[in-house]
Order: sequence, then structure tokens, then C-alpha cells
Amino acid sequence: MSTFVDRYPDEARVVRATLVVSFAALGIGAFFGLIQALHRTGYLRIIDSTDYYTVLTGHGVLLALVFTIFFLLGLFTWAVTRSLERPMPNIRLTWAWFGLSTTGAVFAAVAIVAGLFPSLDMSADVLYTFYAPLQAHPLFYIGLAMFIVGTWIAGADWFLAYRSWRSDNPDERIPLQTFMVLTTMLMWYLSTIGVAVSVVVFLIPWSFGLIETVNPLLTRTLFWYFGHPVVYFWLMPAYLMWYTILPKLAGGRLFSDPLARVVFVLFLLLSTPVGIHHQYLDPGIAEGFKFIAMTNTMFLLLPSLLTAFTVVASMEHGARQRGGEGYLSWLGSLPWRDPAFTGMALAGLMFAAGGFSGMINAGMNINYLVHNTLWVPGHFHLTVGTAVALTMMAGSYWLVPQLTGRRLYSRPIALFQVVLWFIGMVFMSNGMHRAGLLGIPRRTAEPQYQSFDFSATIGSVTELRIQMAIGGTLLFVSVVLFLFNVLLSAIEDPIEMPVDDSLPAPLSGADGSPVVLDNLRLWTAIAIVLVILAYSLPLASIVSDGGLFGESGTFPVFIEAVYWIVGVVV
Amino acid sequence: MSIETETDSATGDDPERPRGYVVGSAPSDVERELSHDEFDPVGTLSIILVYFLILVGMWVFMYFVEFLGGELTVVG
Ligand code: HEM
Ligand SMILES: [Cu+2]
Repeated sequence: MSTFVDRYPDEARVVRATLVVSFAALGIGAFFGLIQALHRTGYLRIIDSTDYYTVLTGHGVLLALVFTIFFLLGLFTWAVTRSLERPMPNIRLTWAWFGLSTTGAVFAAVAIVAGLFPSLDMSADVLYTFYAPLQAHPLFYIGLAMFIVGTWIAGADWFLAYRSWRSDNPDERIPLQTFMVLTTMLMWYLSTIGVAVSVVVFLIPWSFGLIETVNPLLTRTLFWYFGHPVVYFWLMPAYLMWYTILPKLAGGRLFSDPLARVVFVLFLLLSTPVGIHHQYLDPGIAEGFKFIAMTNTMFLLLPSLLTAFTVVASMEHGARQRGGEGYLSWLGSLPWRDPAFTGMALAGLMFAAGGFSGMINAGMNINYLVHNTLWVPGHFHLTVGTAVALTMMAGSYWLVPQLTGRRLYSRPIALFQVVLWFIGMVFMSNGMHRAGLLGIPRRTAEPQYQSFDFSATIGSVTELRIQMAIGGTLLFVSVVLFLFNVLLSAIEDPIEMPVDDSLPAPLSGADGSPVVLDNLRLWTAIAIVLVILAYSLPLASIVSDGGLFGESGTFPVFIEAVYWIVGVVV
Repeated sequence: MSIETETDSATGDDPERPRGYVVGSAPSDVERELSHDEFDPVGTLSIILVYFLILVGMWVFMYFVEFLGGELTVVG
């Protein structure tokens, strides 16, 4: 029996390279996270508060974009190769997109980190949500653009692999993992248009000084046009693992292949026309458009609940095959000592909790209560910070041995690591959510105001701070353990069978399901129509109100106002 | 997708492997094969229902806290 690296050595090399970039970003980003958690709670301050934004930008960009997306690039390459059972059509192309996106990511990271060294005269303190009026050094935007084009070429690579498979297998159903990759990439192409226009047409010329002004609401809206779907770009690799790997780890089989396809199609259709739900508090967008975005958002509950059902049912199948009985006691028959399984299961549990705060965020009226408070990072550390990140780490315990031909260094450490993440996140996100309800703002080194005290009805603000600091520390320790375990695994001696890498067939296969599910052209066309319906009017009104490049004085207005106030006070 | 309906067992306490192990080898102790028709995910259904009830309950609670339980902070 051979494993992935034996069958596809060239592909394994690329996947390993993407994971190296991904995990390097994870390590640095987690370190920044620790600094923030300790700084804003006041327990340890090793940076100047004025550098908080630089660190926060590094944290957001390195974790939410570089760590997650490089992992995706590797995972999808692995998934396409193994499920089509053929090598990439042109390995040079594969290395080309790897090189381009890595260079881009490094450029962006350099521009951010340079902000910590005043002598360099370069900074990119624009946060993960890089829109005007905050302005970064051109290198940051150029890096981002290269990174995104790199992902486009990666998508093209996978589509080419699919095309050559299709010409040999004209009548077969698309293998499930490839289907997931292709639908995700179609969504990505559709949604990155927004950010590409924002970066290439507005932000790059603006940062070079070629144009004086931009319309901030326009760049915001273009950002969020991509900013919500990017959430699904993080989640889809986790879903791919939950649907195709987790059932196997649980000792069962995927409950239903057609249901999984339906879910991915629904995400392609529904991910993009919802971005305005991040702009409920933006002036300049009519309430009606916000309401439409909210309705579309609520529809996204459908594929989420379908996923919850299918994935849990697959685990239950595994548990019952292993002797589980009763309504809930089968939970005890799951392989809780397997870190890959346990990590993914805990990630799923956290995601369910995140579903609650997500619902609060999604509601137009109740969103006002939590907008721009710590509640929001509390929410997304459950979703991307745990559902995605923990699934990726846990999945690595199963994937890395396939890519290296070496066994995992230590299972007990791995198990401890995933549980530690879970515990750390319980503390940190509980603290953040509750702090948010008290109105404590996000994204600030100094979350206190003169002569104003936040007061808690249950517990105290100090208690919440302690929770965030302890939680953040545990999370950082967890990342360190993860990185060491993977690193040590990579230098083990190669062995014959480092991992059980087979994937069992689903209980209900694709054969009986409607062929129209595989009609990618149709779904893309519908997705485009939905996007046009949701966005053409709001965009038109934003441009007609504020002009394509803005029409009021020089931007950033915000900064001008600060200078003015400082001038008056000092 | 390479599909094997039967997975080879890969666990066991092999003395030759004092450290490390084979990940993803849960099926080694499968007691009974359950096909699609024999499998009835009642546990899943109950979990999802409980979750749904919690969601609704917490949402109502939040709504209450914000809009009914005191002064209106947003509207009016
Ligand atoms: C060691 C683990 C982690 C710690 C200690 C940590 C801690 C924090 C803290 C304290 C904040 C800032 C809150 C504020 O001032 O607004 C933050 C923001 C953020 N975190 Fe994390 N986090 C961790 C892991 C992650 C992971 C794994 C991800 C995503 C994959 C992530 C994504 C983000 C994002 C996107 C932001 C917001 C940046 C922005 O506002 O633009 N974090 N994190
Ligand atoms: Cu969103």
C-alpha cells in the first residue's frame, strides 16, 4: 500500500510548500495575537500602543488571509489530485502560482511589519479590511494583487486538471472532492472581482499618488462584496474535510454525497449577494438594500443546517458501526483519542456556538448592539479562528503523514494541542463576546475612556480581561505545540505506512442524484444574476452620490480632522 | 475519488512502533456494517433540534435584553 507522496511525489512537494508558508504565517500571526490579547487587557505591554494597529493588521492578514488561503491551496491541490486520480496537468504551472502567491504574501507582510520600524518609512496599518480612507504603502496592495492572481491561476490549474479528466471520462459524475473545489473556485472568481477592482483601479493608483481621492464608500462596498464570500473561502476547505475526511476518521461513511453537492451549490449561489450585511451602519446605503442583504443572509442558514445534519449523521454512522447505541450515548463510541477526529469535532462544536453570535450579527436591528465591539472578534474567533483554523490543524495530523511518508511525531501531544485550543477559545471568545455586550470597542490598544467605566451586570470587567488574557495565552501555546509536532513529524524516518489514507464511499452515492447538480455553467450563471440583482442598484447609487473617485476635498478626511483636533488641543 | 468500501485496519499495538501511530484508523474495531437503509440518524436529529431550540431561546433573550428589557438604546 502506498500513500499520496508515493503516488504523486511532485504534487506532494507543492502541497508541502504551501503548508510551510501557511504554518509560518500561523506562527507569526499567533504571536501577534498573543501580543494583542495581553496588551489590550493591560497585562503585558511590549509594544507601544501606537503600534497596536500594525500588529493587528499583521495578525488579521497573516491569519485570515495567508494561513487559511495557503492551507486551502495545498488542500485543494491534494484533493483534486487524489479524487481525479491523476497528476496535475502541468507541474510548472502549479509551481508558478505557488511562486506568485508566495511572493505576493511576502510583499504584503513586509509592508505591514515595516510599520514597526519607523526608519523604514513604510507601513500598511490598514487592517485586514483594507479600504479607504486608511492608506497603505503601494507594496502592500501590489502584494495582495499578486496573491489574488496567484489563487486565480491555482483555480485555473484545477480546472485544467478537471478538463483533462473529463475528456477521458465523459459520462462520469465529477468526483465529490473535485466538485467541491470547482464550486468553491467559481464562487471565488465571482467574488474576488470586487476586491480586484478596488485594489487595482482605486487603491494602487491612490497609494502611488496618481489619483488624489477615492470614494471611500465605494472601496468599502467593493471590499465587502468580497469580504463576505472570503468567509466561505475559509470555510469550504473545512467543509471539504468535514464532509470527506471526518466521517472516515469517525469510522463511518459520508451520509449523502448528493446532499453535499447541494450544499456547495447553495454556497456558490448565496455567498456573494450578502456582503452589504457588513455595512448595516454605513451611511450612504439605503435601508432597503441593507434589508435585501439581510434576507439573503438568512437564506444561508439553509446550507449551514444541511451541513450540520449531514456531518453529524456521518459521525453517528461511524459511532453506531462501532457499537454506539441510544439517542446520545453513541457519542461515547467515537474515537476521541484520535487528534484529527477530536480536533475537527471540537471545531464543529465551536462553529455551532458561532452560529448563534452570527445570527445576532446578521439581524439589522440587533447588529447595532454589537457593531464594532469586541463581540465581533469574539464571533469570528469561533468561526474562522476555530471552526476553520482548528480543522486545518487537526486535518494536518492526518494529511502531513501522507505528504511526507512519515508518521506523526506524537499523538498525545496532538490530542492535548487540539483540546487546549478549544479551552483557550472558550475563555477568549467568552470574554470577547461579553465584553462586546458591555460596549467595549474592538481594534484598540486602549479600550478605556477617561472618566467612563464599563460595568458588567454579571461578573466584572477585570474578570473578562483575565479570561481574554488567559485564553489568548493558551491559544498561543497550542499553536507552538502544533508547529513543533508537525516539524518533528517532518524529520521522522520515512515508514511503509504512515497513515490510513483511504476514504470510504458515501452511504448514498452520487449516481442516483440529479445530473443537473454537476452543471457548473448553470449554477455560475444563476450566481451572476443574483449578484447583479443584489449589487447593481446600491453600487449605482454610491457612485452617483459620491463620484467614482470621490468628490469632496482630499482624503483621508479622517486624518485631517485628527490633525486639526490635535492642533487645537496642543 | 479512490473508493474502497472496506478499509484496512491499520491500528493495533504494534510493538515495532513504540512512538507515533497511524492516524485515521478508527474502523479497526467496526462491530457491524450499517448500510444506508439500516441507519437511522435519530441521535443527529435530536442534537440538531436541541441546538435549534437553544439558538431560538438565546436570540429571543438577546432581543429582550436589547429592545424590551429597559430603555431603548437604538430606536427613537
Ligand atoms: C493564538 C491565537 C489567537 C489569539 C491570541 C488571537 C487574539 C486576537 C485579538 C486579541 C484580537 C484583537 C481584538 C481587537 O483589539 O480588536 C484579534 C483580532 C483578529 N483575529 Fe485573532 N487571535 C488568535 C487566532 C486567530 C486566528 C487563528 C485567526 C484566523 C484564522 C484570527 C483572526 C483574527 C482577525 C481577522 C482579527 C481582526 C483583525 C481586524 O480587526 O482587522 N485570529 N485576535
Ligand atoms: Cu458576512
